[in-house]
Amino acid sequence: MAAGLSKTKRLLSLIIPALVIVIIPFLIPNPYYLNVINIIGLNTIVVVGLSLLIGYAGQISLGHAAFYGLGAYLSGILTVTYSFSPWFAMIVALLATGLLALAIGIPTLKLHGHYLVMATLGFNLIINIILIQWDKMTGGPSGFPGIPSLTIGSWSFDSDKRMYYLIWFFAFASIILALNLVSSRVGRGLRALHGSEAAAASVGVRTESYKVKVFVLSAIFASVAGSLYAHYLTFISPKTFDIFFSVELVTMVIVGGMGSIWGALSGTVFLTPLPHVLHFFDEYKDVFYGLILVLILIFIPEGLVVAIQSRWLSKRRSETEEIPVDAAKLSVRPVHDYPTHGCEKRRAVPGSGNQAILRVENVSIRFGGLMALGQVSFEMPEGSITALIGPNGAGKTTLINVISGASQPQLGKVFFRDREISGRQPYHMAAMGLNRTFQNLQIFENMTVLENVMVGLHAKTRNEFVSSLFRLPGFSREEREIEQKAWEVLKFFHLEEKGLWPASSLSYGEQKRIEMARALASAPTILLLDEPVAGLNMTETREMAGTISEIRSQGVSVLLIEHDMNLVMGISDKVVVLNYGRKIAEGYPEDIQRDEKVLAAYLGGVA
Amino acid sequence: MSTGDQLTQFIVSGLTTGSIYALIALGFCIIHNAIGIVNFTQVDFVTLGGMMMYTFFQSLNFPMPLAFVLGVLTVTAIGALVERFAIRPAKSRAVIVLIFITIGVSILMRGAFKIIWGTNQMALPSFSGDTPFLILRAAVLPQSLWIFVITVIVVILLHFFFSSTRVGKAMRATSFNPKAAALMGVNVNRMILFSFALSGALGAVAGIIIVPITTLSYDIGVILGLKGFAAAVLGGYGNIIGAIIGGLSLGLLESFGAGMISSTYKDVIAFAILLLVLFMKPSGLLGYGEKERV
Repeated sequence: MAAGLSKTKRLLSLIIPALVIVIIPFLIPNPYYLNVINIIGLNTIVVVGLSLLIGYAGQISLGHAAFYGLGAYLSGILTVTYSFSPWFAMIVALLATGLLALAIGIPTLKLHGHYLVMATLGFNLIINIILIQWDKMTGGPSGFPGIPSLTIGSWSFDSDKRMYYLIWFFAFASIILALNLVSSRVGRGLRALHGSEAAAASVGVRTESYKVKVFVLSAIFASVAGSLYAHYLTFISPKTFDIFFSVELVTMVIVGGMGSIWGALSGTVFLTPLPHVLHFFDEYKDVFYGLILVLILIFIPEGLVVAIQSRWLSKRRSETEEIPVDAAKLSVRPVHDYPTHGCEKRRAVPGSGNQAILRVENVSIRFGGLMALGQVSFEMPEGSITALIGPNGAGKTTLINVISGASQPQLGKVFFRDREISGRQPYHMAAMGLNRTFQNLQIFENMTVLENVMVGLHAKTRNEFVSSLFRLPGFSREEREIEQKAWEVLKFFHLEEKGLWPASSLSYGEQKRIEMARALASAPTILLLDEPVAGLNMTETREMAGTISEIRSQGVSVLLIEHDMNLVMGISDKVVVLNYGRKIAEGYPEDIQRDEKVLAAYLGGVA
Repeated sequence: MSTGDQLTQFIVSGLTTGSIYALIALGFCIIHNAIGIVNFTQVDFVTLGGMMMYTFFQSLNFPMPLAFVLGVLTVTAIGALVERFAIRPAKSRAVIVLIFITIGVSILMRGAFKIIWGTNQMALPSFSGDTPFLILRAAVLPQSLWIFVITVIVVILLHFFFSSTRVGKAMRATSFNPKAAALMGVNVNRMILFSFALSGALGAVAGIIIVPITTLSYDIGVILGLKGFAAAVLGGYGNIIGAIIGGLSLGLLESFGAGMISSTYKDVIAFAILLLVLFMKPSGLLGYGEKERV
């Protein structure tokens, strides 16, 4: 984890590759090899950007050769046909490609899975056909010649060696920018939406906007690489930018290792020269290329760099595990008894309206012929634990989805204090202080425990793409604050020992706590808990009951969905009962336990 | 030629290519339903179908029906081999990794085609001559009729297979819920193998019947296959009826786009409309969507 590395170590990990880059041309004077290395550099720029999109945000694009081509053609056409200066043309190309990516990205990134793959592929095909057919502008299938070299003053980048330094300067810069981005609030947001869009939105990540922004960013990287390509080779043709190149680029991301910038670099360094190496096999070269690809993907699916890293990391972890850990710290947290109503001062009177923090009014939802919710109204008193119970299929989760913005009510309204909030997006809700957990656990398995909780702070923090990419002033302070706050929250949930573990390696009970820690990290006003103890054993359930009471005593209002009646009756101030989408009862726990309608709903019999 | 005749002509040629796209799209859908991936070797199943037909019919002089059957069987076997030796041993079940394994196999297969059959264009004769006949005053090639009839037969057979045979039902069960199917005693791995075999057969049929009206080369399947993929997406990925409707619509779109607007930009028109449809219906015409459930 970048945050765990010391500053000097981080600096060293960049200085060494930088030195390697400087030295290489002296070791390899052969212009043929240098040319291949330059192409590797150009591909690196594209693949690093693509890695942000695919490896981090989880959005697959088979259309990035088009953005690469647009950068190249715009640079070529603007400099040759319209006599722009090359640098200025490069900037215009970058802006135009970025704008096109924005226009394409907004509708396209609403698509998921294979639909997204097809849409980006279709986009690439369209651009490629236009490059071929619009021959007055592009020179058609025979290509576009005579593109001038880049210059600075009278210094011209007209040799392989000169271009080498320029290309690798950009490649190195793209790596640094990408590294900056991935270890930031934005990077965590991207990985979170990769893991689960619903959960990411529930903690305040603007998933749609983030997907589009990272798409535009990756298109800009590709455009810059394309411009450099055009000025380097001085001749471009449409064939370079067809869908096969798009596929090749994505292959580099995957073979190197998704979710790793260094993986993107190693995938590029490995695959770009491979066809040149295989030339030796003459007509068998495609067969070998395909075979190597298949074998790597079958046996090292996590990617070249990730495979090496994880081997190294697991070795390190086994070393640290031998360090004796303070036994007291490891023991389970003190077991709480259920707080009983005798000791608790009742804060709220069910049904009284004046202190309601959340008010649900006549909410109705129909799924086809099924009425999931029918005119449900209730109030949640401030500072209370309000339980929402009912048999399976009663509409409890649908109601929480409505309150948290995951579904829209067809009729009715939801008020937060006196503000109507129904119809808003989940990330708005998170920003207002309304957080939730999920019935089917939604932790970010691709992140550490600590990072899961750090994402929880998304709604209350502000570093965005630009400040993260360039580490603008204030960036590091906020990152430090986020990390510090996350550690505090982990301590509250007794998870600090495992903060740096992958979240997926923890037990189910611990993962439930991670999810709750994430929801609580940004100190919400209202916490919606959807079956927090489902699947937990008795000890864990008791601990969770204590935790929920403790959360309430810190002033958070809790809406609790639960089937464990001991828990519900033990800690709730108010209970609302749903059955077949309708509210059938509401009141003190002890009254609900005696309510005939409720008994009938749970046990059957006549109501 | 009057506009009415032209329209008929566009419809006929649209349905002809559309049938091919539909057959290929069906292959994509069946594998998607089995393991949730896009199988890019589908593209090469199409090519290989044509190539095997060439070898059996043209080089070995087998009778045409026999060459047809042998060609389909060979590609069916190759489909099964792809599953057995590239998909099943994969250490990761991640969709993207499996998809790129099929891309790797596709590159490998095309490389092999180049070595075996070379890169020259080849031709195959039509099944029953090239004298066009008139339907509603539109000239129709006999091969178009063959394509249409064979596609209809294949669709009927597929319907029968999935609704009435034990294996077909087991494959459907696997597509709905592999775990539950496995618990009921279905050998899920074998169903996935069958899916690849069946897709191979469908691709081969498409390749064999289209080649007489195009030409044959080692990469003939690429553009056809991509259109088949587009058709499957257009119809709603994984939906069998959607694949057929998607295929025929894409064929018609192309033929009308080429005839009425511009033949150089016919693919641009087809893909642009495909994108527009997706933007309005993100899971295709008949798709169920892939929304996360919370």
